[in-house]
Amino acid sequence: MDFDAPTTVKLASYVGAGFCIGLGAIGAALGEGYTAGLANEGNSHDPKRSGEIVKNMLVGQAVAESAGIFSLVIAILLLFVNPGAAGMVKAAAVFAAGLCMGSGAIGSGIGSGYPGGEACLGISRQPAVSGRLTTNMLIGSAVCQTPAIFAMVVALMLMFLDFGKAAVSPTWAALIGAGFSTGMAAIGSGIGGGMAAGASCEGVARNPETVGQVTTTMLVGQAVSQTPSIFGLLVSFILMFKAFPETTSLAPAMALLGAGLSMGFGGIGPGIGNGMTAEGAVRWIARNIEATGTLTRTMLVGQAVSQSTAIYAMVISLVLIFVV
Amino acid sequence: MEDLTNIPQFTIQLFGINLVFNVQTIIMSWIVMASLIVFGILATRKLGFLPNPFQVVAEFLVSGFYGLTRDALDEEMAKKYFPLICGLFMFLLLSNWLGIIPKLSEPTKDLNTTLGFGVMGFFIAHHAGIKTKGFKKYLNEYFQPIFFMAPLNVIGELAKVVSISFRLYGNILGGSIIILIVSHLVYGLVLPPVLIGFFGLFVGSIQAFVFTMLTVVYISVQVK
Repeated sequence: MDFDAPTTVKLASYVGAGFCIGLGAIGAALGEGYTAGLANEGNSHDPKRSGEIVKNMLVGQAVAESAGIFSLVIAILLLFVNPGAAGMVKAAAVFAAGLCMGSGAIGSGIGSGYPGGEACLGISRQPAVSGRLTTNMLIGSAVCQTPAIFAMVVALMLMFLDFGKAAVSPTWAALIGAGFSTGMAAIGSGIGGGMAAGASCEGVARNPETVGQVTTTMLVGQAVSQTPSIFGLLVSFILMFKAFPETTSLAPAMALLGAGLSMGFGGIGPGIGNGMTAEGAVRWIARNIEATGTLTRTMLVGQAVSQSTAIYAMVISLVLIFVV
Repeated sequence: MEDLTNIPQFTIQLFGINLVFNVQTIIMSWIVMASLIVFGILATRKLGFLPNPFQVVAEFLVSGFYGLTRDALDEEMAKKYFPLICGLFMFLLLSNWLGIIPKLSEPTKDLNTTLGFGVMGFFIAHHAGIKTKGFKKYLNEYFQPIFFMAPLNVIGELAKVVSISFRLYGNILGGSIIILIVSHLVYGLVLPPVLIGFFGLFVGSIQAFVFTMLTVVYISVQVK
């Protein structure tokens, strides 16, 4: 079978679209299921409030769905929008775009399910503060979407930037690496941010007076949990915008692909770990508000230590890009 | 679709160096600054026991951020750093909201703006650290827990600048790209206002707050 350049690009977009919505459907579905599960638990605690709880559940699920909707938008764009230039580089770029958005949506989908569920449970426990809980849930799950938004930015850049002047041989690997880097690193950050947000909804339900401190700590904790995905974004940008010299050997290409893989996989663990730290801090601030200062400082130090593995991964990525 | 990452630029030659100005970003930040100055004048012109609406907003911001800064730093430090923190928040908030007005765009959509604030926060935090702890003790912190961790500690500090500025930039740019593409797909019907409300107002406010709080936290980590 012979492939000319436009056919190859089409082929790559179809495979990319498949990966995009296929992987992207995982996270949102899991997160929404978790929300609905805890909403059921809340209903059984207080069946009289079921209307309010179901309403809150639907709002929470709608936000959790947005990562899946991002994937859907990218998949539709991949299927129907002509990417313009044709060539092996563009084919690699559209495939990487699908991969990036698909895996990038997993974490945010799962993560934004946690605050939804905890808020539903919290309404059954403290019906008087349902407004505060819903607001807190919305803030928490909106921040959880950040990694998915990063993945979407990278996916759109991969689809619509013009890579016409770039040398084919290492650039194809650089672009696939760029897709992996942001996409995979977003998984951990999304889940981690969700854990912190879930704990804050639980904390607000337990002690509504602490809502200011809890929400602030949650935002700081989530922001630090997102750092691995920001490192992934940085590596992707370098891979996309740096011009690589033309080469015939395979080694430089593999080094660039490896750079993306290193940052992508390296970001998963620190993201979840930072989320666990933030979860603990937020949960206990709600129970012991006097210790906020100590808890926040311990959280930041702990996160900095657990972050260090993401920094190792970034150092190796940068070495692979600039030195090897 | 080509205008996604395109920023109008203006280059002048000075002593053989190309100075590149991102015209749109500069004009938009000037608009934000001018509006903040006008807001400041309106809020403080007639201070009264029965406040005018601007004074109410200003008092709300000032008391809220003073409380947050005091919780993170101590009373004396808070008095010193709180005007910076509150000003930073107001600038970022207005910058992130500017995109909802047609023809205007967010200055924070340009990485140079956010990176500038990130670097500013970095220097302020380290200056505060050196001043309160003394240079020797400050330097000593880099050799914790063992001396050969120093390069990684330095990279960790620099990574903070990267993470704080890319977080704001990525969120605002991502939001505006999503609004652009969805408006393109649905021909501007129904969805764009909802998206502008979500990404422009809601995410914009949250990210401005997150950026400000992280700057406070970075200062407090250096000081303590």
